[in-house]
Amino acid sequence: MSAILPLLFLLTALSGTAVVLVRDPTRQVFVIAVNGLVLTILFDALQAPDVALSELAVGSAAVPLLYLVALMAVRNQLPGKES
Amino acid sequence: MSVVSNILPYAVAAWLFGAGLYGIATSRNFIHLVGCLGVCQSATYVLLLGLGYRWGSIAPIFYDHPPGTPAVDPVMQALVLTDIVVGATLTALLLVLTIQAYKRSGSLDPEKLRPMRTGRGSGRAEGLDRGDSGERTAS
Amino acid sequence: MTPRIRVALLALAGVVLLPGAAAVITGLPPFGATIAQYGERINAITPEARHVANMVSAINFDLRGLDTLGEEFMLLAAITGTVVLLRGRRGEGNTERALRRPGRAVIPRSEAVVLVCRIAGPLTALFGLYVVVHATVTPGGGFQGGVILASGTLLIYLGEGYAGWRDAVRSHWLDGMEGGGALLFALCGLAPMLTGAAFMQNVLPLGTFRDLMSGGLMLVENLGVALAVAGGFTQLFLEFMEETRAADEPDEPGEESA
Repeated sequence: MSAILPLLFLLTALSGTAVVLVRDPTRQVFVIAVNGLVLTILFDALQAPDVALSELAVGSAAVPLLYLVALMAVRNQLPGKES
Repeated sequence: MSVVSNILPYAVAAWLFGAGLYGIATSRNFIHLVGCLGVCQSATYVLLLGLGYRWGSIAPIFYDHPPGTPAVDPVMQALVLTDIVVGATLTALLLVLTIQAYKRSGSLDPEKLRPMRTGRGSGRAEGLDRGDSGERTAS
Repeated sequence: MTPRIRVALLALAGVVLLPGAAAVITGLPPFGATIAQYGERINAITPEARHVANMVSAINFDLRGLDTLGEEFMLLAAITGTVVLLRGRRGEGNTERALRRPGRAVIPRSEAVVLVCRIAGPLTALFGLYVVVHATVTPGGGFQGGVILASGTLLIYLGEGYAGWRDAVRSHWLDGMEGGGALLFALCGLAPMLTGAAFMQNVLPLGTFRDLMSGGLMLVENLGVALAVAGGFTQLFLEFMEETRAADEPDEPGEESA
């Protein structure tokens, strides 16, 4: 019991750093989803099931979709403007 | 070793916040910047839930356990819960602002979008030049 | 401000703030030793005082219901801001048909995907409703269930395509759900004052402990939050998807518009 929590905290730090270090937005969306999943597991291990449910639904379904659709809306402009 | 495990959540929260700030400061793409802001937000969640934890306690739901069993702090969980959902909505608002900025100036790079001053466009001049030359060569 | 100056300023801020952060981190109580007194008292008295088993829902909807009212309206304001920004540029002309994405051919869906989405969609909606209704007995509540419901409608998008999803979801009901949920929550605050009680005081019968219908006014507030969150997130998805459809007029199939 006391070995899992430090491991999960270190994994959270790792995935958070990965979100920052991946510069391409299209690839960063996947890292954001993985970060949400890692946070969900961490919250569950910290005895917070409500928070874990919320983070799972938001962090792996809603937020990556918003990023993907924003990237789609931005990419639409490129065919007319790119030289 | 026990000293490390005493302060680990708080150190991880500080590290995540610092990493998010570094990402915001050195970002070359607005959408990447919004993702780094999300990392800053998750640092606060980790800090709050780390403050509310106690070894050997159950979740604050007394359905299977009788009331009176030692449980973790429910106030922190209530704070983080509403924060996650509202934070996602604010991420959406920021992404919309990014899309609008892109449509006005044609670039997602914070370096190319200077603050508006009198006598200078909001970076639209560079964007339109790029676009105009592209259309002329394409047609 | 060049990037170098920015990173230098950030490093300077880090160096200045680092001793303060270290002092705070070592000054906090050790991890897992104890929890705050407020949380202890809530865990001790709320099961008898409010007849609920989920302490987090009790805090969100009853003990600190005023904070949740503020968060609710923050959600509403952010979604309204998004809609105003997107529709302000696009115009309020509501087209009856869904527009096509410019410059992309329409790829037919495989039947396996359609079948799985048709099975999984109603199941996800049912699960979302289950999470919403069991707010006071198990982990769950309006916030979680609302987001699950909203992301369940995305399975409709995956299975039926954009036109089918838009027809199914976009309606006056959706517009009413989001504002109606916030209005319901605000009415839950004002209605007890009509009976002489305080703002948002729990005046309904509290029910029995560990029962589905326990908590009194918490259940109505929970319903308001679920409606607002589900309606709001679906509205958000709808507006975002509409943004990617940039065609000015509905086009014939096979036409490649730029």
